Amino acid sequence: MLGRGGLVAIAAAQSGGQQVRGMATLKTISLRLKSVKNIQKITQSMKMVSAAKYARAERDLKAARPIGEGSVTFYEKAEVQEVGEKPEKLIVALTSDRGLCGAVHTSVARQIRNELCESPDNIKVICVGDKSRAILQRLYGKNIAVVANEVGRKPPTFLDAAKIAQQITQHSFSSGKIVYNKFKSVVSYNTSELPLFSESAISAAPKLSVYDSLDADVIQSYVEFSMASLVFYAMKEGACSEQSSRMTAMDNASKNAAEMIDKLTLTFNRTRQAVITRELIEIISGAAALE
Amino acid sequence: MTAWRAAGLTYIQFSNIAARVLRQALKPNLRADALKREDSHVKFTPWKDGKPITEKA
Repeated sequence: MLGRGGLVAIAAAQSGGQQVRGMATLKTISLRLKSVKNIQKITQSMKMVSAAKYARAERDLKAARPIGEGSVTFYEKAEVQEVGEKPEKLIVALTSDRGLCGAVHTSVARQIRNELCESPDNIKVICVGDKSRAILQRLYGKNIAVVANEVGRKPPTFLDAAKIAQQITQHSFSSGKIVYNKFKSVVSYNTSELPLFSESAISAAPKLSVYDSLDADVIQSYVEFSMASLVFYAMKEGACSEQSSRMTAMDNASKNAAEMIDKLTLTFNRTRQAVITRELIEIISGAAALE
Repeated sequence: MTAWRAAGLTYIQFSNIAARVLRQALKPNLRADALKREDSHVKFTPWKDGKPITEKA
């Protein structure tokens, strides 16, 4: 009996507290206003930083493009096809460690997830960047073979790409691909794929004869090199899309914060007026009662 | 069979070593920029059955 009474009392106190919280007091509004202003400052400076990084990434990308295109053209001209009886697939997810950049990481992960959803067996995933790992590990953790992190703090170097390519070659696969974001313009990117082939697939390519003076040694060296250069090119594309996407994301965030600040200032002023008016009424009615 | 492949290097390892030597041989004013292209911080963690394989386990 007593316990129930206590509960009712607590519930009443809670609902009372809720009401106080729901009613915007001057103090809470000003605190909120201050925090939104701080957030806006942060997003604005992040935008500036990523704009500078983006300019550099785009310059780097221009230099890296021929490297990737060379390898892709070779695969096309030689008409390389995948070989091997057992279908073992390898997917490389190129993302980075850092968030707050729109949907770049999610769209890479989504593309891979769709593929894993259809047939989760015999597919190995190499996650480059913590973000793709974070998205994929819950549902498809069993498919993850290697995770590479500490990516995206600095612009990717060829040495990074070489290390990743080394990891890729350590896994046997019949067909592979790199999923990355292809940079189109400052406001758009495409999530696309680059094919990866094993050495045996290239040696068995039907039109390999268009290239002359090839022996096994040259092919082996070229496969190693083309793998690294493809990864390098895809990393550059990814980094560029990431920075441009972060720029737009932070621009939008700053705009939204500005909108919130406007609204909050309006409510703040209105509440201030209301408080003043109420106090005046109290004083006047008090004085009137004394007369 | 080239000497570096006989030593168990891949082409990428071989060319990275060559690139490092070339960068070290540059004139000082160019070297500073080139050395920036040499660092790499990527770390790898092998995974198995949905969990990272740590050195302790």
